[in-house]
Parts: sequence; structure tokens; C-alpha cells
Amino acid sequence: MCAQTDVVETNSDRDAATIRLDELAKHYGEVTANDAVSFDVHAGEIFGYLGPNGAGKTTTIRLLLGLINPTSGTADVLGADIHDRRALTEVKADIGYLPDSLGFEERLTGQQVLDYFARMRGDERRAELLELFRPPLEKPVETYSHGNKRMLGIVQAFMHDPTLAILDEPTSGLDPLKQDRLHAFLENERDAGKTIFFSSHVLSEVQRVCDRVGIIREGELVALENIDDLLERGGKDVRVHLAEPVDEERFTTPAMIDVETVDRTVRFTYTGEANALLAHLARFDVEDVDIGDPQLDDIFKHYYGGSTLGETG
Amino acid sequence: MTAILRVESRKLVRGTVILTGLLVVLSAFFFVVFPSIQEEAELFEAVYPDYLLALLGIEELHTIEGFIGGYIFPFVWILLAGIYFAYVSAGMISRDIRTRRMDLTLSNPVSRESVVLQKVAALWVPVVALNVGMMAVLFAGATVLGEPIDLASLAMVHLLGVPYLLVCAGIGLLLSVVVDRVETAQTTALILVFALWLIDGLSQMNSDFEWVGEITPSRYYDPSAILVHEEYAPIDATILLVTFLVLVAVSVLVFVRRDI
Repeated sequence: MCAQTDVVETNSDRDAATIRLDELAKHYGEVTANDAVSFDVHAGEIFGYLGPNGAGKTTTIRLLLGLINPTSGTADVLGADIHDRRALTEVKADIGYLPDSLGFEERLTGQQVLDYFARMRGDERRAELLELFRPPLEKPVETYSHGNKRMLGIVQAFMHDPTLAILDEPTSGLDPLKQDRLHAFLENERDAGKTIFFSSHVLSEVQRVCDRVGIIREGELVALENIDDLLERGGKDVRVHLAEPVDEERFTTPAMIDVETVDRTVRFTYTGEANALLAHLARFDVEDVDIGDPQLDDIFKHYYGGSTLGETG
Repeated sequence: MTAILRVESRKLVRGTVILTGLLVVLSAFFFVVFPSIQEEAELFEAVYPDYLLALLGIEELHTIEGFIGGYIFPFVWILLAGIYFAYVSAGMISRDIRTRRMDLTLSNPVSRESVVLQKVAALWVPVVALNVGMMAVLFAGATVLGEPIDLASLAMVHLLGVPYLLVCAGIGLLLSVVVDRVETAQTTALILVFALWLIDGLSQMNSDFEWVGEITPSRYYDPSAILVHEEYAPIDATILLVTFLVLVAVSVLVFVRRDI
């Protein structure tokens, strides 16, 4: 259903597409990093690119930036074909990029790093961003923690006020407070008309901030969803420690997948409503319970199976 | 667009200061032994087999010009400085790719051609420092020893030595864009420059193999000829410059096409 909506949107908003991938593929010998991936990112949306680690998210991003060459297929970024190196170089003035692994010039201070990028693409929003994200600018980058490097990366990605930001796992290494701050910042940017392309392996994060989501598994786009549809496909990793051994059949409900019972402990991935789960558990004599974020791959296997849904599914 | 040039230049300062300091001290040591060598120069030239003299490019060892051209320059400039230029250049691109620094650099509106050219241009730092440092110590050393040296020849031996160093840098740069591992690129560059220097010297020992030396860059830079005979060989210097430009051009061509 959602996929059909997308096709209609794509046709009517053809000009509004900020990024368009057309059967984009990258092979490394036998290994397929990206397999004919096609989707559009529309102007003014936060697009989540969701997939487990190693699914091929970074490969797509590096293809879009012209860092690696596609094996086949193509893509447009802000109207520039990724095969047209000159055009792509020009539009980079309007792109902000936060890589997954940040390679800064280690001996420079944060200040010097920002000055360096400012000379190439401007920094009209630097002061404003440094109010929100505060890396220790006077210290050399080699002394930075992961979180500080990430904050410096966020500042450099947005300080020239780009119309498109491409962020590869932007919250990794950030403490929860800073993560919330980044999410709020991204929503403001979106409301101001900016486009955000956001890769993540954390389902809950994508559910919180993104408008639309592309899901990638083993190099293939398995689904393109509106966020409302994805919200129904959540899941929690649950571990229940019961007072006495329980009959698995009596305990299990259809919303539980991958159920494992060892003596008095039951472990499962829960894909239903939180209230229903709590009500269900209350019927048993529970000693302890752990509810956390699930392994993304388990959830994907459940919802998307092994098949490729792509844009037609 | 000079942002990359600025940062790259700054990065080369520390290594340049150390290199120049070392080579200046080394040259000063050579001067300390010059008086004793001068006394026995004739004996030297008589006793040493011709091939060794040829290998080191030694002529007129008893004069300060012959000593600088035959003793100091082959070691300090052709071998050590050449290795430094090749080694540093071999890390320029490969290290940035390895550390993912290149991802961020290329997220700017800057072409890959410009990245390579700005990085190469940053070599002005060691070129200038090495020339100034060596000119100063050689002139001072000659003056202290009371052996006045022709300033024009001294300037020319430095100036014409620059294309040679650039060729070494070009060799390193090409390895830097072709080889993925930084250590491999730098070690190969180092060994290659040393081997080329050795091949040039050894090939002169046997006239049957002398042509092999034609492919070595040091064949086109002869400090002794410049200092002792004031033969400047502008064509040889041009050959080196063209070689350097070709190496840079090939490196750029490879780099703009490859995955990083």
C-alpha cells in the first residue's frame, strides 16, 4: 500500500526529488555491497536509511558522494548525475556530509579543522551550531572522545547551511542527551525546508525522527515505508524471569517470535502492543523482566522475510 | 582554493625542520673531515679503484667544489633528500584514504585533481627549507675553511637539484595513488629511490650496461659537473622536470578514476 503511494508521489513530485537512485549497484568481486537499489528522497523530508551493520548503507552513501564508482546503475544528487564528476563537485557546496568514521586531521585543533572546511564551503552557521554541539575547540582532535569527534562532525556538516545533509549513523557515540538534541535539530532543519538523508541501524531512532524509511538488507532494498507503517512494525527484545517453570505453549502469544525457554527464563522478540505485553505478563508470577531494543536483523527477518519487496511490494 | 595547500604545507613543517637540521649537521661533519681528506686526496684518487670514484661521482677531491660535488651532494641531496621526498609523497594520498580523511576532503566542492595538485604544491616547504639550509651551511663551511666557493655555482647546484627531488616526489606520489597500504607505498618508494641511485652508479662501471643508468633520475643531475666544470646541463634538468610532470599527470589520472 505504502509503496503504491510512493510511486504516485514520485511521479507528481518528480522535480522535488533531491536524491534519486536508479538501479544503483556496487560489487566487490563476488560480494554484492549494493544490488540494484532504487528509491527517491524528496525535498524537505527526513529520509531514514535503515539496515543492520554491514547491510550496505555506507556503500550507498559513498556512491552518492562519488567516492566510489557504481558497478552499474546511476543516481542523481541535487540534480547532478554521480557519473558527472564536475557537476557533482559543484553541488557539494550545498551538501553537508557526516561520515560514519570521522577522519579529521588529528594534529589540528577543532577550531583549525572548522577553519579548514570553512575556507572550502563557508561557515555562516558555525556559531549557532556551536551553541548546540560543543566540542572542545581549543584542543587537538587527537585528544577527542568519540562523542566530541561526532559533535565536531555535526558542526562541519551543517555550518555552511546545506540544502541536503547526508548523515551516516549520526548519533553513534553521542550520549542520549546529545542524541535528543540532534533529533530536535534535524526536525527543525526539515521544517525549514532542508532535506536530510539519515542512515541508522537503530529502529527506534528512525521511528522517532524520520518521515519515510528505506530498509536495506544484505545490499538489497527490501522495503520503502512511510513512517506510520514502520511504527506498526516495531519490536522489543524481552527476557522474563518467572518464579516457576512455565509451559511454553501456554506462555507464548502470536506476537512473540524467536521464543527460547531455558528453565524459568523465557526470551523472545515481541512485535505487538506494549500494553498487551504488560497485561499478558501480569497473568504470570514474574520475578524480573528486561525489555530492550531488539536486534534489527531479527525484526527484519520477521517482517520482510528473505524476499525482496522493493518498491513494488 | 588553497585550504588544502595551507594545511598540507603546515603538516610538512615538522618533518622538514628535522630533515633540514639533520642534513645540515651531516654536511657540517663532512666539512670537519675535509682538511684531512684534502691532504690525502691524491692518494685517495690513486688508491681507490676507478669504479668507486665513478660510483660516488668523485672528481677533483682536493678542491672544495670537488669535495661538495663528489662527497656531500651524492649522499645528502641525491640519496637522503631524494628518499625523503619519495617517502613523504608516498604517504600523501594513501594515508588520507586509509584514515578516511579523503572522504571528508572530497565532501567539499573540490575536485580530485585539485586535491592532488595542492598536496604536491605543499612540497614547496621542504624544497625551500632544504635549499636555504644547505646553501647556508655549505657557504659558511667553505668560508670557515678559507676555501672560497663560487656563489653562482653553489646556487645552480641547488636550483638544478630541485627537479631531481621532484622526480623522487613524483615516484612516491604515483605509488601513493596506486598502492592501498601506506606502509607498502612508503617502503617501496624508499627502496626504489635507493635502488635507482645504486643502479646509476653501478651501471657506470661497465660500459656495456651504462645505458641502464639512463633510466635513473640521478643520471640527469651531476653536482660535480656543475661545481667543478660549471656545466649546467639545462636539457637534463628539463628532462627531469618533464618526467615529474608526467608522473603527476599519471597519478592524477589514476586517482580521479579509482574508488577510495
